[in-house]
Amino acid sequence: MKKFYQAALSRRAFLGSAASASVLATMPLVGRVFAQGDAPLLVNSIRSLSNPYHAAWNAGGEAFASRVGLDYVTLVTEGDSEKGVADIRGILARTGGNAVVNVDPNDAADARPIVEACVEAGAHVMTQWNKPDDLHPWDMGPNYVAHMSFNGEQYGRTTAEVLFEAMGGQGGILALGGTLSNTVAIQRRAGLEAALADASGVELLDYQVGDWQSSKAYDIVNTWLTRFSGQFGGIWCANDDMAIGALEALRVNGMSGQVAITGIDGIETAVQAVIDGEMVATVSWDPFWQGSIGLAIPLRARLGEIDPESLGKDKREFYAKGVVVTAENAQAFYEANFVTAPELDVDDIWARYAGPIE
Amino acid sequence: MAPPLIALIVATIAISLYNPSFLSAANLGRVASISAIPVLLAVGATFVIIMGSIDLSVQGVIALSAAITAMVLRVDDGALGSVLALGAAVVTGIATGAVSGLLHTLLRIPSFMVTLGMWFVSAGLATLLLGGGTIAVRSADLRVLILQRVFGLPLSVWLVLAIVAFAALMQARSRFGRYVVAIGGNEEIAKLSGLPIRRTRAAVFAIAGGFYGLAAALSVAQLGQGNVDIGDGRLFTTITAVVLGGTSLTGGRGGVLNSVLGVLLVTVLGNGMILMGVPPYLQQAVLGVLIILAVASSTARIREGVYK
Repeated sequence: MKKFYQAALSRRAFLGSAASASVLATMPLVGRVFAQGDAPLLVNSIRSLSNPYHAAWNAGGEAFASRVGLDYVTLVTEGDSEKGVADIRGILARTGGNAVVNVDPNDAADARPIVEACVEAGAHVMTQWNKPDDLHPWDMGPNYVAHMSFNGEQYGRTTAEVLFEAMGGQGGILALGGTLSNTVAIQRRAGLEAALADASGVELLDYQVGDWQSSKAYDIVNTWLTRFSGQFGGIWCANDDMAIGALEALRVNGMSGQVAITGIDGIETAVQAVIDGEMVATVSWDPFWQGSIGLAIPLRARLGEIDPESLGKDKREFYAKGVVVTAENAQAFYEANFVTAPELDVDDIWARYAGPIE
Repeated sequence: MAPPLIALIVATIAISLYNPSFLSAANLGRVASISAIPVLLAVGATFVIIMGSIDLSVQGVIALSAAITAMVLRVDDGALGSVLALGAAVVTGIATGAVSGLLHTLLRIPSFMVTLGMWFVSAGLATLLLGGGTIAVRSADLRVLILQRVFGLPLSVWLVLAIVAFAALMQARSRFGRYVVAIGGNEEIAKLSGLPIRRTRAAVFAIAGGFYGLAAALSVAQLGQGNVDIGDGRLFTTITAVVLGGTSLTGGRGGVLNSVLGVLLVTVLGNGMILMGVPPYLQQAVLGVLIILAVASSTARIREGVYK
């Protein structure tokens, strides 16, 4: 019996060692990026690499890093706030704070510990999309350089207006929103409501939650075709994935192209659908630009080229401009962003400034 | 099988009283076509759950199979490419499931942990293959499965019906099917009776993977694109449907047809709540309540000494 235990133990020990060894074997590849001198390390912290949006964000970071000749690392949270914060702390410890961090926090609340850790370590940090309302760059000193976002309400409204126009200003519409409690979903919906208030000929027949997913949107639109058969001329979607689900649901019911659809995000398949006339509009945030400008601004602050303290509140918490993609510019937009590698647009850091966040 | 069937009938009557168009041929066709993919997933998971195990890798396997389907279609989106893509999706699913099954049986790791791990491994591989992008396959011949109708229903519905019939026969009539139930009912007795426990267990995970792979190919055909997020949200509905159908999470009881009823119940309720105008925030809650009710009504509390 004793021998059996020993055998079992050694097998376990062997397997454990083998697994650890194989993981460790990959470490030099990972570790190489930390081996550096005085040059700051560029860090992008994003949700995951499995969606086109953050993949483009990462490509922007890589392109910027190779332009300025600095080492670059991507951290992914995989939707886990703890991991997101811990990974950034790890990087700060390894680099001794000699880092420039561009972060899309997994959750608004995460921004605070991340910013505090960066400020304490002496790194320069910029946040995008999410942060608590009472966390301000000007309260945290020069190392929290800026916070940038996009006006969800404005673009929710813009796409709704393009949708109404495509419908000739009247008829019924249906709306697919993102997850109910999500800030961005709430803002985009507010934009839709505002556009509806100004469009007397358009009626919102139903609002459903598609959780940002194309498959869920597909199921919902199939059901709408039963409930509102022939009563609607447009579907407003809070993101492009749901818009794709909606247009495929129309296609399977033989109604392709008969209903106007809008999305938001500017993913490749949606832009292609705008070119094909199956969608009327989407909005691109240009994640490639977000991944590069979010490093460029804090890097300039670190190199002393801009002084965050003298920027003023309106430039330390600001909205950037999105690109509205419609039939007019879709082809050109597609070629510039998806056919050829996008070009870095970081020389004038305020070129896409849209105003302060209020 | 009675409780889910009764629930389905009651739901159908209630919804159609409120909105008669629920029973229209067009809507029933839509319910059938929306159900096709969840049915495949639930049937695959049923074998695992009857055996007393759980499979959490559903979304990861879908992601990987969908990535491979889309990559094959990118090379050739004609008839040959489509057949190959379909085959590749199923083979990928079987392979991933087989890895889960072998790790589970050879290393004696709980299926819960192995499949959780495989979820992330396969989603990671899919991310690597696609580089985070989406492959559009809008004009692929594979899409005839969704877009071509025979007797009013998409080809995919007929395909799934044929597969369900086969799976139900296999589960109820084949030796393998009985092994699965026996292992789920009481593994010790099954072992003492000389049943090939390890082989059966590993095979069940591989078969389940094959079902997920096929579902992934249909998802790609349905949405005209392949990406890693294509299976998002599918795990919850799969397990919900299996449980609502009356398959016991402790194993040994349930069946393929139960799960089909479970999926129909979930789909009909989802469809019905939208037809009746139930607010979105209540819809999820209704499903949650139903799961608890279903589990509560299917648990033999007197027999359960230990619950955790």
